[in-house]
Amino acid sequence: MVAAVALMIAAGVVNFVHRQREQRARLEAMRMQLVPADGSGVPSADEMAADADPYSTPLNGQQAANFTLQDLNGKEVSLASYKGKPLVVDFWATWCGPCKIEIPWLEKLQDQYANQGLAIIGISADDLDKDDPAKLFTEKREISDFATKMHINYPVLLDADAIADSYGGVDSLPTTFFIDRTGKIVASTVGLASRDEIEADIQKAIGGAHS
Amino acid sequence: MRSLALFAALGVALAAGPGVQAQKLPWQTSDTASANGGQLVRFLYPQQVVVAAGKPQTIEMHFRIAGGFHINSHVPLQKSLIRTDLTAPDTPGVKIAGVDFPAGSPYAFPADPSQKLSVYAGELVVRMHIVAQRGNHLIQASLRYQACDTNTCFPPRNVAAAVDVIAQ
Repeated sequence: MVAAVALMIAAGVVNFVHRQREQRARLEAMRMQLVPADGSGVPSADEMAADADPYSTPLNGQQAANFTLQDLNGKEVSLASYKGKPLVVDFWATWCGPCKIEIPWLEKLQDQYANQGLAIIGISADDLDKDDPAKLFTEKREISDFATKMHINYPVLLDADAIADSYGGVDSLPTTFFIDRTGKIVASTVGLASRDEIEADIQKAIGGAHS
Repeated sequence: MRSLALFAALGVALAAGPGVQAQKLPWQTSDTASANGGQLVRFLYPQQVVVAAGKPQTIEMHFRIAGGFHINSHVPLQKSLIRTDLTAPDTPGVKIAGVDFPAGSPYAFPADPSQKLSVYAGELVVRMHIVAQRGNHLIQASLRYQACDTNTCFPPRNVAAAVDVIAQ
């Protein structure tokens, strides 16, 4: 037993040291790629900034993908119907603690920027058992109860999974997209951003191209 | 710092696994999650136990929650939160008499200290009480959890926790 444990420790240490060496080698190789001897292939300042910004998303600057989802009352709502308005699309879930912090900010910002046409859509990422009507009914009611408890003053749509792929996967919550009047994504946040950052992104969406 | 005893117990498995990585965005691939099949919790051990046949036994199931993340405890403080739970399909020859979870630790998101949570972080040990008939049995248990870090939450997931039970 002692010998087996000693062997495991030794193997672990050897493996760890080997991994550290590999990591150093990879970093060195990356450094060499970034600074080629002949100066060719040097990334532009914009490319370097994008690489350095962990919150950069390839969806920024793209047209937001259209979708049609049902709201809490079963009414179909499409993104296209918001064209011409600055729009916030917020993916959230009832089980998401940071979403509960962000939602009241969105409610106040909706009121604050209503006169500039701002609209907000919340899209619930809660699981829906579409094959089980009884469960589905309960799940919808729980989402609705949550929205009521949180005093959400903007449309809440269901079934984020149905459109997640079009929005980068939406693997973590909250994920929020800020869309200008032409339907272009001008900013996005993943995880809880500060209220100031959210407001700045809203202003980007409002200040974007007017149709 | 991990204790020597823990390091010894985890041995090669931990050393060969990925280190704790910074969280990536949805359109990127999380190194931690991708290296673990999208999981933020890993089942560590035991893969196999030898127990006395026909007598109540307890298996301590050890899990590791990725650094920087927490999962709700078995008794979360808010109704809307998804609790951590261990389930197993019926296994012929094995009766699962119950599962005990540790109490959660208090936690609050830095941005809202008023939102009190009960969570697990780091190592998690779940005690599964069984009675096994003589023979070999595979309990294909599964831990359901929902993980968050300080700013972000991830959808609920299940991590497999299979234990080969040799009852003698």
